[in-house]
Amino acid sequence: MRRIALPVAVAALLALGALVVLELVRPSAPPTQVEQARQIAAELRCPDCQALSVAESQTAGAAAIHRQIVEQLAAGRTPEQVRAYFVTRYGEWILLAPSSPFAWWIPPAAVLLGVGVFAWWLGRGRGEAGPAASPPGQARDRIREEVEQLDA
Amino acid sequence: MPAPSLGRSLRWLALPVVLVPLAWLLFTGLGSDPRVIPSPLVGKPMPAFAGTTLDGIEFSSADLLGRPAVVNFWASYCIPSCVDEHPVLLDLAARHGDELQMVGVLVNDAPDDARGFLDRYGHVSWPNLLNSDGDISIDYGVIGPPETFFVDADGIVVARHVGPLTSDEVNRQLAALGLAP
Repeated sequence: MRRIALPVAVAALLALGALVVLELVRPSAPPTQVEQARQIAAELRCPDCQALSVAESQTAGAAAIHRQIVEQLAAGRTPEQVRAYFVTRYGEWILLAPSSPFAWWIPPAAVLLGVGVFAWWLGRGRGEAGPAASPPGQARDRIREEVEQLDA
Repeated sequence: MPAPSLGRSLRWLALPVVLVPLAWLLFTGLGSDPRVIPSPLVGKPMPAFAGTTLDGIEFSSADLLGRPAVVNFWASYCIPSCVDEHPVLLDLAARHGDELQMVGVLVNDAPDDARGFLDRYGHVSWPNLLNSDGDISIDYGVIGPPETFFVDADGIVVARHVGPLTSDEVNRQLAALGLAP
């Protein structure tokens, strides 16, 4: 039984690895213009609503932007060019997610900084408490002398 | 008295290094005017537009070149902001109608509703474009009415104002355009 188990496990692992590689290298079908338009609309802020994307909103402003996305894609512009067009008009405000990858690192960096400051603050408290707990050399000697005098 | 160690000095330095930028961010944020929303169009040529006015006349942004211009985005449903700024616009046209050109652009509004607004609050001497497909609003990055763009004689956008115009704001922008308030 044990003689069979190892080759079976290795074969299963190899098959799994092959499936993962195939999935990674398999060319996926390019998105249609409708899918591209839907994706861009989901990334743009609806200008006349509260915290909704163009894709989620039914307002006149969102409908006008959605129509322009479709028209620009049909005219041969790439999704990046369409996004860039709206940024040149509205600024980065129109993007629901920041375009700069650097922006994604700010929250974890702030948390790390906070943890670092807290750890430093804890360490500082412990460091100061240490010397205060044991009396300095001269004082210790004097105490010892006084105790010895009392014992005598 | 022993000299303070480097670690202790750095510890006291850390406090202002963290607090001063935080205080600066807080105070600059509180002091800024929420109506001054930066527009990527400022400093750039005004986006071209053309369309039909409420009076049925064809109008193009090319007609604005040669004189400073005020492009005002408004709507009849924009109450009270558009109602509040209407007398300011009328006053601006009365005082500077010969020095600058004004044009209104409707934002998602029905022509009859816009005409009703003008019947009620005062007719204007400048053209008002229907903008029924909303393309002019998108080209100018308009978030919601009222919004006003100030354009110099060369067609360069010099400022954008979000919210109802006031006399003080108009005078400030007139000075920026080189016109006496």
